[in-house]
Amino acid sequence: MCAVQSVGMLPVEHLHLEHVLQTVCVLESVVCRSFGPEGGQVLFTQDTGQAMLSRSGARILTALRLEHPLARMVVECVLKHSTETGDGSKTFIILMASLLRIIHTTACREPHVSRTHTSKAAAETASARHLADKMLAFASEELDDLIAAAVVPYGCCLSWEELSAKSQAHSNNPCVQNLLASFFQSRVGPTHCDLMSNLTCELLTNWKFKNDSPSSSLHFIRDNLAALHTPVSGFPISFSRLVEGQVIHRDFAAPCPRADLQPVKAVVLTGYLQPKLLRAGEVLELGRGEQSEERNIMDFSAWGERSLECVLANLQSLGVSVLLSAVKQSAAVLALATQAEMSIVECVSEDELSLFQRLSGATPVRDCRVIEPEHVATLTFCRPILLGAHRYVHVAFHDTEEKITVKPCSLVLCGLGEGQTDQFACALKDAMRMLLSTWDPIGITAAPFKQCVLEPGCVLPAGGTFELLLNNALLQHGSSCSISDHTNKGVPAVSQLLAKALLSVPRQIYYHSPRRLLQTQTRLLSLTKNHLSIAHNKILTQSHREDGTLTEPCRGEVLMSGSGLESVSCKSQVLLAALQCVSSLLRVDAVLRTHTALHTQSHRRTNISWAGTEDEAED
Amino acid sequence: MALNGDDKDFDWEPPTEAEMKVIQARRDRQDKISKLMGDYLLKGFRMLGECCDVCGTILLQDKQHKNYCVSCQELDSDVDKDNPVLPFFSCFFFRVLPSALNAQAALSQVRERQLAAQSTAPSQAPELNGGPSSSSQASVLVPLPRPEHCEGAAAGGRALLPPPAIPSPAPLPPTPALAPPRPPVVPQNPPLQSMLQEAEEAVLIKLRWATNQLQSSASLESSIQLCSLITSCANSLRSLKELSQ
Repeated sequence: MCAVQSVGMLPVEHLHLEHVLQTVCVLESVVCRSFGPEGGQVLFTQDTGQAMLSRSGARILTALRLEHPLARMVVECVLKHSTETGDGSKTFIILMASLLRIIHTTACREPHVSRTHTSKAAAETASARHLADKMLAFASEELDDLIAAAVVPYGCCLSWEELSAKSQAHSNNPCVQNLLASFFQSRVGPTHCDLMSNLTCELLTNWKFKNDSPSSSLHFIRDNLAALHTPVSGFPISFSRLVEGQVIHRDFAAPCPRADLQPVKAVVLTGYLQPKLLRAGEVLELGRGEQSEERNIMDFSAWGERSLECVLANLQSLGVSVLLSAVKQSAAVLALATQAEMSIVECVSEDELSLFQRLSGATPVRDCRVIEPEHVATLTFCRPILLGAHRYVHVAFHDTEEKITVKPCSLVLCGLGEGQTDQFACALKDAMRMLLSTWDPIGITAAPFKQCVLEPGCVLPAGGTFELLLNNALLQHGSSCSISDHTNKGVPAVSQLLAKALLSVPRQIYYHSPRRLLQTQTRLLSLTKNHLSIAHNKILTQSHREDGTLTEPCRGEVLMSGSGLESVSCKSQVLLAALQCVSSLLRVDAVLRTHTALHTQSHRRTNISWAGTEDEAED
Repeated sequence: MALNGDDKDFDWEPPTEAEMKVIQARRDRQDKISKLMGDYLLKGFRMLGECCDVCGTILLQDKQHKNYCVSCQELDSDVDKDNPVLPFFSCFFFRVLPSALNAQAALSQVRERQLAAQSTAPSQAPELNGGPSSSSQASVLVPLPRPEHCEGAAAGGRALLPPPAIPSPAPLPPTPALAPPRPPVVPQNPPLQSMLQEAEEAVLIKLRWATNQLQSSASLESSIQLCSLITSCANSLRSLKELSQ
């Protein structure tokens, strides 16, 4: 991270379990006030007047000023996890804190004395490390199967094909809208969650590639999301809508094409039309021609202009009226283009250009001297669009092959202030990631040959159901293990500790109404008891279904009516990630203090630069 | 849910009742510290990579680059209470504080509120205004240490009771109905000397009462309150004497 500058002994601080516990507990106290359906939002303000509104754990933690190395490590882990799954950062921290507390209690009670340690604290730390590793090993080996056997049957698999059926939104059948609605409720609040989820579902429906698996269209949307939505501040969220085609986030540099001209032909340029031959520090040598007259710079630039005119004449002959350029073209190009009644859009970003290319089917021009018809894209229209305070370019594509399967559209996302708009845009991004991890589940066991046991689209009712069911399953697993195997006393203990740690999540969810927690727990317990004897065979058949559709009414339906949904894959990933982070944290032995600035901006992903410049000036 | 095995290597006994209480108290304290630190982090404090030398808690740093230890400076149940000289923090901290961090802070806040309540208790001389007596109390009110000041400052501030420039209202015992009339500051009244004498008598009565109470007092907190009452009575007498000269 940084070079050791001082010669000689560096101060070394040995880490004790207490430090680790305290660090994570502090982070927990920061996030738990925003956790759950009744959690609040955090408003961050800067001296410059910028405000950021957030309920997302990752954003809140990134905005804190943390110099403590362990805290920074934990926040890095949370960020990485959030980039993958889009959800569960607060659950991550809460699980970590409760795991550490339980490990701390257990380790202090019975320190491992298989080796001699210098002090009681060292013995406790070693014992904690050992315990964390055991828990991680247990989770990696057995948790997947436990989840498949005891948790998944109480959920159901959402069908991707039913995405467009809007009538499902208010019925009792669980659908993608419900999943999105409960996700957005935790991010933007109950007022706007339905609106956001409807918009997102419309977006997903339009971008559904037929004959393609949901995960590939979700991958596409996630990768191109920046080009597929436009945040606009200053309007209420109800003004958000979908517009046809693509919105390019640049304005016309040369005047707009005439509105009556249809269809519009456009060309994508990746380089300069007039190459920059005279750059500072370079020497241009003008050679002698055959006629031994001296060439001067005026001839040279005249020649340059003539060749430019040729290029533009070529473009005109192809009927091109719009040029989309990845770079800033020179003034001569702009002037000549205006004369030739062509519009130019400059400095278009790479992802927007690649999306344009994909939708229009035209290849970008690399060498301006060679412009073929294959480089020309046909657009239905290309006109300016005023969104908020900015004017952008709005294009719609002519019918191509792709268009038959896909209806290109772009989401205009409005919010009252910049902070709110930013919040909605981030929630949208995270929703896409969450959907992707639901439909493209990665099993907990990283074994390459073992197929993931989780079905795509598997969801559970929200509200701590996953944790309560898994808690129950772990306790039963633990007791059955201890009955069958008396020698191996480590395993039941580990599953019981894990079960106890899992309970912290529903406790936090129902923090203000412990009675509801008891009711939910009782209901789930009675359900599991009733079905335990009957359903063993049913579990096996259900989990091996080939298609992902809801074929028979399963136990999940009993729980589903009216409740929110959450993705099983996200939940299990959060658990595994928390265990991994805990075990890495406990492996840290010592902290070396160096004398250089530690702060790197690389992991700060927020658009507003919340890390103030004073951070950089630390000695 | 005890882990089995491994006891052959060392003899572990389950913790006794007292130890359990200590463990529980420690856990509660740690939870409180975490919560406070979380509050401060959200207010823009920086979490440093260093620990306090005294208690080992992670240090925080405010925007003025001053280090702050939550457990030493807010939850100091172990630190000596006799030290009246405590650092006065920048005003940023004053808006922050949660109420009743521990029993002592709670008691000191109750005391403050009682003082504030008693100073507004109707005790105006009835011959001045027939109506409610609280109307001219505003002129008699003296700024008392605000409850928002941190517990340390409040502890130190016990020595800094209202300045004797104005005849301060003696903090009354909680029987406002029997409160003797207090002289108002506004000078359009009957002869000053007789008013001052009456005031002196009242203060002396209270002083005597407080002394009696102090002799028989069994609780620490009431003794502290009575001592502060005696101090303020003495101050009042001094200022009354100055006025009469």
